[in-house]
Amino acid sequence: MRLQKLIKILTSVKKIQFKYKHTLADDPKLVSARQKDMFEDILEERRLNGEFRYCLRARDEPAFKLNKRRTPSQIKEHVMNSDRVQYAIEQACIETKLPRSEVMAEASAILDEMAHNQNMGAIRSFAFVLVKIFKALYQRIYVNVDGIQKVRGMVKEYPILLMPSHRSYMDFLLMSYVFYHYDLPLPVIAAAMDFLGMKFVGWLLRNSGAFYIRRSFGDDHLYWAVFTEYVQTHICNGDSPIEFYVEGTRSRTSKSYTPKFGMLSAALEPYFKSHIPDVMVVPVSISYDRILEESLYAYELLGVPKPKESTSGLFKARKILEDDFGNVHIYFGEPISIRKYSEGLVDRSLHNLAPRYIASLTNQEQDLIKKLGHHMVLTHQKHMVVSPWNMMAAVLMQCQEGISVRQLAKEVEWVKRQASNMGAYIDWPASETAESVLRANIKLHSNIVRVNTDDVVELVSVAPPAHTKATDAMMITAGQHLMLSLYRNHILHVFVRPAMIAISVNSCTSERLSIDDLFTKYCFLEQLLSKDFVFVPGSSRIDFDLSLRTLTHTSGIVMELDEVVIGQSVNKLTTFYSQMFEPFLLGYWILCQYLLSNHPNVAGKPLAKTQKTVVKETQMLTARLLQEGVIKQHYEILSLDMMNNGLQALFHMGAVIKERRDGVVYMYPNTRQLSNVTENLAKFIDVPRLPAVSINIHSKTVTVNAKL
Amino acid sequence: MASKDSEINTSDVKYRLLNNTTNMSNQMIENRMCGNNSEVSNGGLEPEPPSIPKRRQELLKWNGWGYKDSKFYVNKDGHVEFTGERYRISGSTMPGLREWMIKTIGISLEHKTPAQPEISAANIPLPIKNEGFISELRRTAISQSDDCQDRLFRAHGHTVHEIFLLREGKYERIPDLVVWPVSHEEVVKVVELACKHNVVVIPFGGGTSVSEALECPAEEKRMIVSLDTSQMNRILWVDEKNMTMRAECGIIGQDLERKLAERGLCTGHEPDSMEFSSLGGWVATRASGMKKNVYGNIEDLLVHVKMVTPRGVMEKNCQVPRMSCGPDIHHFILGSEGTLGVITEITLKVRPLPPCKKYGSIVFPDFENGVKCMREVAKQRCAPASIRLMDNEQFQFGHALKVESKSILSNFLDGLKKLYITKLKGFDPMKLSVATLLFEGTKEEVAAQEKRVYEIAAAFRGIPAGSDNGERGYMLTFVIAYLRDIAFDYYVVAESFETSVPWDRCLDLCQNVKERLHRECKDHSIQFPPYITCRVTQTYDAGACVYFYFAFNYRGISNPVQLYEEIESRAREEILANGGSISHHHGVGKIRKRWLRKTVGDIGLGTLQAVKQYIDPNNIFGNNNLMINNSSSDNSQQEPQNVLLPSKL
Repeated sequence: MRLQKLIKILTSVKKIQFKYKHTLADDPKLVSARQKDMFEDILEERRLNGEFRYCLRARDEPAFKLNKRRTPSQIKEHVMNSDRVQYAIEQACIETKLPRSEVMAEASAILDEMAHNQNMGAIRSFAFVLVKIFKALYQRIYVNVDGIQKVRGMVKEYPILLMPSHRSYMDFLLMSYVFYHYDLPLPVIAAAMDFLGMKFVGWLLRNSGAFYIRRSFGDDHLYWAVFTEYVQTHICNGDSPIEFYVEGTRSRTSKSYTPKFGMLSAALEPYFKSHIPDVMVVPVSISYDRILEESLYAYELLGVPKPKESTSGLFKARKILEDDFGNVHIYFGEPISIRKYSEGLVDRSLHNLAPRYIASLTNQEQDLIKKLGHHMVLTHQKHMVVSPWNMMAAVLMQCQEGISVRQLAKEVEWVKRQASNMGAYIDWPASETAESVLRANIKLHSNIVRVNTDDVVELVSVAPPAHTKATDAMMITAGQHLMLSLYRNHILHVFVRPAMIAISVNSCTSERLSIDDLFTKYCFLEQLLSKDFVFVPGSSRIDFDLSLRTLTHTSGIVMELDEVVIGQSVNKLTTFYSQMFEPFLLGYWILCQYLLSNHPNVAGKPLAKTQKTVVKETQMLTARLLQEGVIKQHYEILSLDMMNNGLQALFHMGAVIKERRDGVVYMYPNTRQLSNVTENLAKFIDVPRLPAVSINIHSKTVTVNAKL
Repeated sequence: MASKDSEINTSDVKYRLLNNTTNMSNQMIENRMCGNNSEVSNGGLEPEPPSIPKRRQELLKWNGWGYKDSKFYVNKDGHVEFTGERYRISGSTMPGLREWMIKTIGISLEHKTPAQPEISAANIPLPIKNEGFISELRRTAISQSDDCQDRLFRAHGHTVHEIFLLREGKYERIPDLVVWPVSHEEVVKVVELACKHNVVVIPFGGGTSVSEALECPAEEKRMIVSLDTSQMNRILWVDEKNMTMRAECGIIGQDLERKLAERGLCTGHEPDSMEFSSLGGWVATRASGMKKNVYGNIEDLLVHVKMVTPRGVMEKNCQVPRMSCGPDIHHFILGSEGTLGVITEITLKVRPLPPCKKYGSIVFPDFENGVKCMREVAKQRCAPASIRLMDNEQFQFGHALKVESKSILSNFLDGLKKLYITKLKGFDPMKLSVATLLFEGTKEEVAAQEKRVYEIAAAFRGIPAGSDNGERGYMLTFVIAYLRDIAFDYYVVAESFETSVPWDRCLDLCQNVKERLHRECKDHSIQFPPYITCRVTQTYDAGACVYFYFAFNYRGISNPVQLYEEIESRAREEILANGGSISHHHGVGKIRKRWLRKTVGDIGLGTLQAVKQYIDPNNIFGNNNLMINNSSSDNSQQEPQNVLLPSKL
């Protein structure tokens, strides 16, 4: 049965092979594009030579020098017998008063659910399928060869942690494929349980090295122990490189998510407790010309639940194989030695006074883990490849009424210069004219934009994916906007720091602004944006100084005697930056308004609501305001993700208070602080005078009264 | 006063000693049977001239290890040969050694760095003279000298740094005067005068320190007197009722054991340096002996000790096996490293000489199995007098030290053994590790011990591999001190360092420290592969002692010693991070001072300093070891608070 399905999918892949094949031979541009800058395409060889022998060839992969070969079942056996798990079982017996055998069985069940069963047979068939799929989906898969060489050099010497960025399911397929291609040991991958729903795929991935972790396991000590030991034994014995996502989950917005630290802590504990001499951490940035899940993401952001992963769903989605998803760029960053990174920052000898299987980390170590997590995300961003489409999206987001191809080319050229000044790596085919580059990208994204007969670029209206059942016209528009915003988001990290300065300057009403006041404003914005963008805690001043210097050097901002001359500083650059981030600030402002409208009830305290409710109701409010034309047509404000981030930021600023009731978190505004924030926020953007708006939620009418 | 390598290894020396004294012991036993022997006597122990003369340089190398007549050199055939006739390998060539040196550390016979021929008077600093002290001292009968070479000899121990200075450089600060008291009373006199005239006293025993404990503080402006205890070498009495003996501090290990052996007794304390190190030095550094499993370390052997301090003489009023009277004042003296006073007289436990002594060895498929076996042996408390586990690198090195064998049969047997282990048992010669064993006791006891240990070993895939391998293993530890000198001749710096560690971290520590050393060598652009090896050399209930050797070829590097020290301190940091200690038996001296605060904590260090302050307020014993000046100069910056946090992990 399973086999039949597999054969079916493979034959369907075969049929659509391969529209590029004929172009390869006679288009000098494409041929020469096999190698470009530091990148090399690893797909072309497969197109020319096929995959059968490729998947069966002998692989000579280097192994970690302290490694003792183990089978997946030996690894499981080790985990069950480990001091840590035995200790956790003992503790659990005491706590739950259950018999030991029962707790053992539970631990063993957890492990069975978790463990991978990586084996060469599965890997080879997996590779076979992957080549087929990749050849269908992508034009080229670029990898920076020197990065691979560095990894190759490390494999024998160190346990390795791979930390790729995470913006698509394709990420870990690509990672495994790259390692297969370069004869490197295949990573084992920490995957979310989602895939287990798909029987066949779950099985295939498990046998190719995926291990499954529950999304949240809070205070389940037994789970923690099994999970920690499972991860750590791989690291200590160096069985395989371990791959996990520091952002925790796929970014639905193409922006980096703020780092999560659980997995990172588990992975680094063996170094802090001196089980191993060192660990190498390798950041990997994966940039897509076009993201496979673009429309799924857009509707998920609007609150349409993502379809449950299932194998049949996957088969239904196979028509996607007929689409073109452009290029992928995979950049392996400089590996970081944890020993060197933590030199002088942690004192490992603090672990001398207790057995090492009892979990503990010092505050120095926790700080270090936070620092490293942020560093990883920033490194991802640094090595992201910016495509022309990203810059086009940035311009298009600001010109929703349409823009002529010529004008767009001009604007993109300008953005390119700015991005390049900010240190972004831009993938721009030098041998082609700007216009042809643009047209090629429009073609690639023809589901989002098109060129009409007047040579004007405009958004295409598209039918939403079937599962969304969306009929509301506004939702459809918003879906389109969010799809476009994904690609703009890809470069926002390049601009966000100078933009916070630009926004402060652009909205300044006096003639001059001192650096100190500017910095105060900057810090306020950073706090507000701290969940939507990634800032390293404690480095605001450094970031600020650097960004200000960049802005003055690119003549965006004019300084005299430590003061910004506002008149000369409001220009195209600062205006562009301001507009780029305006939707976020406007979104937060609406959120604040919504929260403020929750009047203290009879008990004298605003009504507490769950985060979900707050966010959902804010979205409703936004929808009304958009519909009635009260606010600018930034449809992306309808994104629940933006609202959630805003709410978290407000919580960290003390404007919102959390309260736990029956294990559920409720939130309510801290009116005084929230008013301050709202007032402050309104200084940075043009805000409308809000009419009283009624929104209908689950047939209850909520009236929002503007209070300015 | 200090002891190098408190473990042993003078198996050959022992061998000789035993041969010489067996007859004597037999006589003793006969005497005893005739009832002629008084229980407490000093009759049979006439004082004799010390083995080490006042002018040490006449017998010992001035710029290297051990006797002048004993050294490695490359003979005319291009093979490494050991000279002299003191040791069993003396006069033998080791055909495998040259190849090993070339292959493992990349030496080249063409590239030599001979030592400077001498440090002449012109390069030796002028003595600082405290005229009051000198004139009063002259009025006593205490032997003294301000001869350049006498002073230079007492300015150093045997760290890489110190020996390198002797070979290539000069000393900025050395003792200004050497005195040789011959009794406790003379020591009291010297210390009194020193206090009166504010003169620094640095006690000197065997001179085998490897912690820079003997180095004179460069900034010391007062006169420094080196108090050489070598002439205080009498055994004062032997008490066979209580099985104790009392001796003066300056007696060196081999003399003590030889003289006790004449009476059928021994202390059983055998640090590797026992040919040269002194009884007082053992106490002052908390020495450890190879056979501690049977006899105990120095703190277990010590029954009574007398120390002359600036405040007066510190001692207990009784010689009891144990007492409860507050903190044990002996523990201020043990390991005081000459910072509080001069140890003058010591009572140690003695034991009858064991009638049977047997070496043994076990081959393990890898180091990990070996460590697990050691742990099990310790758990069952059935460790023989000595049990040590060498890693593969050290095993190979031991192999290279094999002396030329003339017997076809033994070569043939070796071949068979190798065949058995590698082919039949499937051990990888590049992974296997070897434990060496020394059994002591009656024949029956030894047989029973052997049986038990080999049974445990079998559970960890260990195969008994004969007594020759065992004996060679023990030989290795003592020749390695001589080997360093020939290494120096060929651009190689080498040193050993040690630690103690709980069992659960033992393997990780060995692995991580070796790894760290390799890594640091790479990072410091040392172009030749370093030689890094370790052995688990003592077992305890709760942990083990681990001993590292580290050598590298410094051709192409301008500051080898500085680099060596830099790397060693990185290794020590790794040790501490791995749950190891600052030192198991070498002591702290000056070289490891920077980690003392971390080791004992602020309060601990303060306590040590308070004791020092009370006993020696004017810092007469100003060798700057341990806690002295530790607060201000090193590591004084307040570290940020760092605490363990509970974690879900």
